[in-house]
Amino acid sequence: MTNSINEFEDADLFLVTGSNTTAQHPLIGSRIINAKERGAKLLLIDPREIPLAGFADLHLRQNIGTDVAVLNGMMNIIIEEDIYDKKFVKERAEGFEQLKSVASKYTPRVVEKISGIPAHDLEKAARMYAIADKAMIVYAMGITQHTTGTDNVKTCANLAMLTGHIGRPSTGVNPLRGQNNVQGACDMGALPNVYSGYQPVADPAVKKKFEDAWGVQGLDDKVGLTITDMMVAARKGEIKSLYIMGENPMMSDPDTSDIEHALSSLEFLVVQDIFLSETAAKADVVLPAASFAEKEGTYTNTERRVQISKKAVASPGLAKPDWEIICDVSRLVGYPMNYSSPADIMKEINTLTPSYAGITYKRLEMCHGLQWPCPNEEHPGTAYLHRDRFSKGQGTFLPCEFKPLAEVPDEEYDFLLTTGRIYYHYHTGTMTRRTSILEREAPVPLVEVNPDDAKRLGIRNGDQVEVTSRRGSIKAMAEVTTRVPKRVVFSTFHYYEAPVNLLTNAAFDPVAKIPEYKGCAVKVRRCI
Amino acid sequence: MKTLAKKDLKGVIKAWTEKYHVLAPSRMTNGDCMFDTFQEESFTLDYKKPPLLPKAVFLPHTEVVFEVEENKFREVISARNTILFGIRSCDMMGLLQSTSFMTRDRDDIYYSTKKERATIIVMACPGPQNETCFCTTTFSGPVAQRGFDLLFFDMGNNFIIETGSDRGKELLSSGPFTDMDDNLAGEKIKTFKDKAVRDIPVVDEVYEAMRRLKDGIADEKVWEYFGRKCIVCGGCAFVCPTCTCFNVYDHESAPGNGVRARAWDACLYGGFTREASGHNPRPTQASRLKRRHEHKLLYYNETDIQESLCGCVGCGRCSDYCPVHIGTLEVAREIVKE
Repeated sequence: MTNSINEFEDADLFLVTGSNTTAQHPLIGSRIINAKERGAKLLLIDPREIPLAGFADLHLRQNIGTDVAVLNGMMNIIIEEDIYDKKFVKERAEGFEQLKSVASKYTPRVVEKISGIPAHDLEKAARMYAIADKAMIVYAMGITQHTTGTDNVKTCANLAMLTGHIGRPSTGVNPLRGQNNVQGACDMGALPNVYSGYQPVADPAVKKKFEDAWGVQGLDDKVGLTITDMMVAARKGEIKSLYIMGENPMMSDPDTSDIEHALSSLEFLVVQDIFLSETAAKADVVLPAASFAEKEGTYTNTERRVQISKKAVASPGLAKPDWEIICDVSRLVGYPMNYSSPADIMKEINTLTPSYAGITYKRLEMCHGLQWPCPNEEHPGTAYLHRDRFSKGQGTFLPCEFKPLAEVPDEEYDFLLTTGRIYYHYHTGTMTRRTSILEREAPVPLVEVNPDDAKRLGIRNGDQVEVTSRRGSIKAMAEVTTRVPKRVVFSTFHYYEAPVNLLTNAAFDPVAKIPEYKGCAVKVRRCI
Repeated sequence: MKTLAKKDLKGVIKAWTEKYHVLAPSRMTNGDCMFDTFQEESFTLDYKKPPLLPKAVFLPHTEVVFEVEENKFREVISARNTILFGIRSCDMMGLLQSTSFMTRDRDDIYYSTKKERATIIVMACPGPQNETCFCTTTFSGPVAQRGFDLLFFDMGNNFIIETGSDRGKELLSSGPFTDMDDNLAGEKIKTFKDKAVRDIPVVDEVYEAMRRLKDGIADEKVWEYFGRKCIVCGGCAFVCPTCTCFNVYDHESAPGNGVRARAWDACLYGGFTREASGHNPRPTQASRLKRRHEHKLLYYNETDIQESLCGCVGCGRCSDYCPVHIGTLEVAREIVKE
């Protein structure tokens, strides 16, 4: 997030798109609900009628995968009507002419044809967002989990810059992180191309800095593989072994049959997890890890806030905190890591990571966390990003053209399947499906079907339905609801009984390599 | 009556720790307050209204009730001699109500064993701890009437201590306590109490809301309004001193081995009332919120409320912690709004 969570209290308008906020980030959702009561506006762009729709001043239900067209259309109107922030565009941005030329193609009529959003609604939305004093864009996986995920994000950024809705309190672009520490994992360099704090592996000075700190020579300066690349490489036999920590690709990655094939092609698979997940069951070696309550450390949340977490209970059996397991493995392969505690590791992070330099354990003990960038021990942390300049200097408009989904419905596979999570379960259910009350609340996999489609196919609420894509087939209970538009079905990836990723398409965004979980072609029938 | 110099308090509590597990208000290094195992360095008297309740001592968030090993079962009842130091009067009433409910017609042995081994020390409130306190409305404060073993009045440099039981008397039998003339102490306590009562305003809307609920004239739209914005976290039930609902579940660690446990539950969850057939008598969030608030303000049990107003003890925590402002105060005000 470029903003802080507290800044929701002062915004005049929220543009929420591709985020079922009350279900997935309920405390942020509650900020939006409270803001609505004090008079803020809510502009929702989402194909599904999510609970926030009940609070929206305007809800645009675009066809799945048409986000670039919709946002370009808004920019087209904003430029046409001359309500963009000329001062911001002149002083802080570059590439406006290119943006203008791309946006000019996305007239309301053109966008209506692509997205299904009536032209007059798009015009209303564009004006609402542009003329708001302080507007925040809020998005989540509905924007990113597309073959055009990077384009979608760039287009959100273009819209915020065009209207000057960034770099001031309660104005910004806010991807809500879907896991408690995914921000922290990325910050710490759990990515193929960077060390901690996004320092590039290919930069010779960075390479030297880490070699000196770790007392080694020849750190690899080539960018490694993303998860999705690794699975392709494993299938081809180019990767011989994988060491997977706290991830369950057998349930969470697209096209499960292909993932299973990839993992089976490995010579050696290590899985480090707190439970014997579907993926751990395939491993040659399982290393039992301690859960969040059984270890000490820090998490970095969606607003870049680093917070300390203390050990509350003892680990069962032989389970150990991940850092201890990694140190043990490292020692066995000949590179002893002599860290004595998470606090000790934090000292190294402070030394090697400029944005974390001032986030010391000692300070964290005394407060409710610090937000990076925090370059020194006197620095209070940073509530919102890009205040006077962008990290690269001028902000560059990166206009994108609309591209359709990788797999669109046809005569045989005549529905779009879109996937996500529900309120009560988290990801592949490894933890939440073992939690009595959460499992009681949502014990069975459901597929949302629009009433019109249900009628046509003879499906009643609670019937078993079969959903089939080119890659596989699952059976689940139908929930007949207007939450999904016609010709769209929605299901989740929480249930091993109906693993929805058997169906999803392993087509990736070319840059981020994120799979298109949000749209693939399926057919639906009632089970007899 | 007895008095204790404030400077001697830590020493007294420290001496108690030799025989008891003492839970006392503690200030964490990050500034948060909670009831925790007494430690001299973190002990504080400036603790307002900590979020975690005394009920958690007697009804822990999760608790194993029996273990099964090689198909043989063993009941687990855990309790130890505990002193709860410094709970508020509203929480004392919450404990009285909960204890009545948990023992009235069937003894919940896991709860009552812990309760029997606990010594309760209440700290009377000199005024509201924050703007959501309304114990004067619900007859549950600012000064506890009974249930306590000891009742402390903070008089500035010293405490006046009222004894509520033999167990309390025993605690005062040794240590730097001095006697005070009962009449003089009584006068000081009266002044303390009068000021506290004056400073905690009575919320008439609560009475009026109860009347409208009783007469069946509360507008149903109130529940629709709150139901629409409730995020179903269940937090109001978890911070409520009189909410004691739990769910029972089994956890199998290996074939023939495992535990049966219970965990806090909340009537705000759909599955709480869903029947085996799938039918749910409380099918919407609006109906579930209605059930919760009517349980506090209308359908309470006369014995359980222990001579207070109703099933709500006026601590205001639901109003403090609900992310979308659905607490007893907000609900009562919405019900009486024309």
